[in-house]
Amino acid sequence: MTELSKIRNFSIVAHIDHGKSTLADRLLEETKTVDKREMEEQILDNMDLERERGITIKARAVKLNYRADDGQDYVLNLIDTPGHVDFNYEVSRSLTACEGAVLVVDASQGIEAQTLANTYLAIDAGLEVLPVVNKIDLPAARPEEVKKEIEDVIGLPAMDAPEISAKNGINIHSVLEMIVRDVPAPKGDREAPLQALIFDSQYDSYRGVVVYMRVMNGTVRPGMDVKMMASGAVYKVVECGYLHPKGMVPADALGAGEVGYLTASIKTISDTRVGDTVTGAENPAAEPLPGYKTCQPMVYSGVYPADGSKYGDLRDALEKLKLNDASMYYTQENSIALGFGFRCGFLGLLHMEIIMERLEREFNLDLITTAPNVVYEIDKTDGSHIAVYTPINYPDPMEISQAYEPFVKASIITPPDYVGNIMDLCQFRRGEFKDMTYLDQSRVELHYEIPLNEIIYDFFDALKSRTRGYGSLDYELIGYRPSKLVKLDILLNGELVDALSFILFADEAYARARRICEKLKDNIPRQMFEIPIQAAIGGKIIARETIKALRKDVLAKCYGGDITRKKKLLEKQKEGKKRMRTFGTVSVPSEAFMAVLKMDE
Amino acid sequence: MNELKPLGVYIHIPFCRSKCQYCDFYSIGGSRDRRLVDNYLQALAVHFKEAGARATDYIVDTVYFGGGTPSFFGADSLRRIFAELQHRFRVDKDAEITFEANPDSVTDSLLKKLRAEGFNRMSLGVQSDRDDVLQKLGRPHNYEQARDAVQAARKCGFDNVSLDLMYGLPNQTVPQWTETLQHVLQLKPEHLSCYGLKVEEGTPLWEYKDAANLPSDEAQAEMYLNTVAILEDAGYRQYEISNFARPGFASRHNLKYWMGEEYIGFGPAAASDFAGKRYTYVRDIERYVRGVLKQDVPILAECDSIPARERAGEYVMLRLRTTKGISPEEYEKNYLMPFEPLLETILPLEQRDLFYQKDGRWILTPKGFLVSNQIIGLLQEAQERSEPLAKKR
Repeated sequence: MTELSKIRNFSIVAHIDHGKSTLADRLLEETKTVDKREMEEQILDNMDLERERGITIKARAVKLNYRADDGQDYVLNLIDTPGHVDFNYEVSRSLTACEGAVLVVDASQGIEAQTLANTYLAIDAGLEVLPVVNKIDLPAARPEEVKKEIEDVIGLPAMDAPEISAKNGINIHSVLEMIVRDVPAPKGDREAPLQALIFDSQYDSYRGVVVYMRVMNGTVRPGMDVKMMASGAVYKVVECGYLHPKGMVPADALGAGEVGYLTASIKTISDTRVGDTVTGAENPAAEPLPGYKTCQPMVYSGVYPADGSKYGDLRDALEKLKLNDASMYYTQENSIALGFGFRCGFLGLLHMEIIMERLEREFNLDLITTAPNVVYEIDKTDGSHIAVYTPINYPDPMEISQAYEPFVKASIITPPDYVGNIMDLCQFRRGEFKDMTYLDQSRVELHYEIPLNEIIYDFFDALKSRTRGYGSLDYELIGYRPSKLVKLDILLNGELVDALSFILFADEAYARARRICEKLKDNIPRQMFEIPIQAAIGGKIIARETIKALRKDVLAKCYGGDITRKKKLLEKQKEGKKRMRTFGTVSVPSEAFMAVLKMDE
Repeated sequence: MNELKPLGVYIHIPFCRSKCQYCDFYSIGGSRDRRLVDNYLQALAVHFKEAGARATDYIVDTVYFGGGTPSFFGADSLRRIFAELQHRFRVDKDAEITFEANPDSVTDSLLKKLRAEGFNRMSLGVQSDRDDVLQKLGRPHNYEQARDAVQAARKCGFDNVSLDLMYGLPNQTVPQWTETLQHVLQLKPEHLSCYGLKVEEGTPLWEYKDAANLPSDEAQAEMYLNTVAILEDAGYRQYEISNFARPGFASRHNLKYWMGEEYIGFGPAAASDFAGKRYTYVRDIERYVRGVLKQDVPILAECDSIPARERAGEYVMLRLRTTKGISPEEYEKNYLMPFEPLLETILPLEQRDLFYQKDGRWILTPKGFLVSNQIIGLLQEAQERSEPLAKKR
């Protein structure tokens, strides 16, 4: 165990692409935690998906050993955090386990919406926030201006902030010294009853659940009986230790102030909830640590196995994934069209895409995802008030006295040139302008109140394209407002396919209905007969397209040598059909369910 | 002695004057290398001997020389092969003996020699009545040569002549195709094969298919339906998706493929369905020759034993190509599977005029033939869902 005064627990926060993961790589290198020759780029992003997309999705932790200029050896625990707005929840979880945060700001881009959002999260969590100006070797770098911006906009002293290039390893040493000097050492009593905060966990098929935690008080050792305070479950610790980028390093004990893991042959995934407190079974703490506020999923979508018989596999996969990603929510749902599946809640569309990809890759599932929706609230004519998580449960228009939809306060930061574009975009998305502030000459912050529904689909992409990539966005839920909503139903060959229904703002219904019918027409292959596609509100058809009948699908020649070939062709046709769901006589490929979403191209 | 089982023999002649733009059959375009031809004849003889020993309880009732271009290969070589075959197999005196021919290599001398040897059916590649089209497709002949070849065959005693035609050709219109059919009917063939052009990967045509101005699926469907109607009127009965014949002139050899009867193939890329196995030889003449003569390289490219359940699938897939269609009694008796699930699929298709019923058999309409891949797919799915009859009891 390391003396408390020699421990520094910190995380790195930044706007996406400001170089957070690269700085983490350099810190690992500079402290020789990883040999340069073993260094893979962005080593902490070890999910394949993260590498491919160049973003950090999951929070990670790692222990660095550092001999500072004062000649003393320190342990620096770095807890990496994601930067995208969808993953705010992950950020706040990591921050609770730290005493300090390194704020990375790009020397040419300056402060962006996520810089502000993450800084406020860190300040709210009571952390010491230490600015660093990155990418100073870029031609467009303006470190002095950016420092001034940090002081003016955030109010943090920044004149002494290290000017670094994480990419080229410039001034990394000064970041380490700053951490040792300015991040407060953790407090805590190692003799007190154990209190350790679970900030993450993962399922390992050999060891069971691996719990990642920050010990606040007391000490944990292998062989000790521990209790999860929320669930009450008791386990004997098999192993505890530190987190190294290449894996887990066992230790004799973990004491207050330290960050590490424990395993205890935990098979019941639901026993180890992220945010729960681990304590001793014999000498328990009186109180659990303050947990996390439960995170509210912003969007919900139906998730069904492409092959109906894989329902059980999907349930197991969701259970395992939930352990690793507490921000996901799911509950069973039945669709007339798709059978058994789940309604899943996500923090945003990126989060949803990532969960879907992880389910397909890590659990080898083929999935059908229905169009995502936000949660609506309804006053019914019988006086009751309900929340609607799925279009399937949307009441009949006759039973609705007033519908409400969630609004967010959106904060957009952009160079002044693009203000006009952004105003057009926000107006088109039913946004209400609140105010606009010049952060400095080159940076404007706009506030809008916008229906969440308008933000979740492709708003961020639209913002980026209208600001040449310079615009940045952050938003938070501000509550529900009355709205005119309708449920749009889709009929294929005259039959309603409930999994294609969705809820939208009434004034947009006609235009959207037409686009959706066109999209479906493009995405459903021709079949042996003509298929009408209709969009309807209540019983009224408001848009229609027709998929023409397939005229020709025949093998003209089939002699001796062609027979094996033809059999293979039929096999392939069959495989293709497995990716489809059949409604009545119409086969619909799984992509079609999502295609209705992608309206803006 | 047991009754002899019928057997079809296919012999592949992988030699052509030149390769056509659309062709993906295995053949060598250009000159006939004397050494290769000799080796090939020798390999076939050895192969016949070997296979003949395993087919003593069979009688060959159809022989088909396909290609390639057998007429280009020459009468003497064809005669040698046929003589060798008769030496090693029991060949029925009434057997149907077909050879494929192209108009540019059909001569009186060839026809006379082959007729004298017992060849009794010629299948001639005509493809189109338009010389500009023939040239574009890379065919080494014009339409006049095709007409002459038919005349010559009549003169030399062939009373069973089949002509191959293609529709769906570059720049072709529906009226043009009708005109082609009318011209060709004047030649009074006993049999016609009309194939929709399929652009195959690896052919020269594939490379420029997007610039080839191929007729749309709608146009091709119309051409097909017109073909069936026009030929019906002219006294040709459709007996398979692409095949039409005057009564009594359906190709007995080709019917074996669709009726699930046994056939044995020789030569590179030749396919067999013999003694419960379906197999194909390598698409490489040098390798085939070496494998047969020296036996140091395998000549099999593919070989599958076909279990009974899969045979049931083949029955549906192949029989539905013919106007004999499928019969519930036959199906349940031969494959011990219930026909009921298939019927459930068929009835709605009958409503859509894709199937009709005749003498208790289910047959695809011409419209049904046009989408037969889809229909066969649906029926095979229905099959997969069903339990064998024995299990049900």
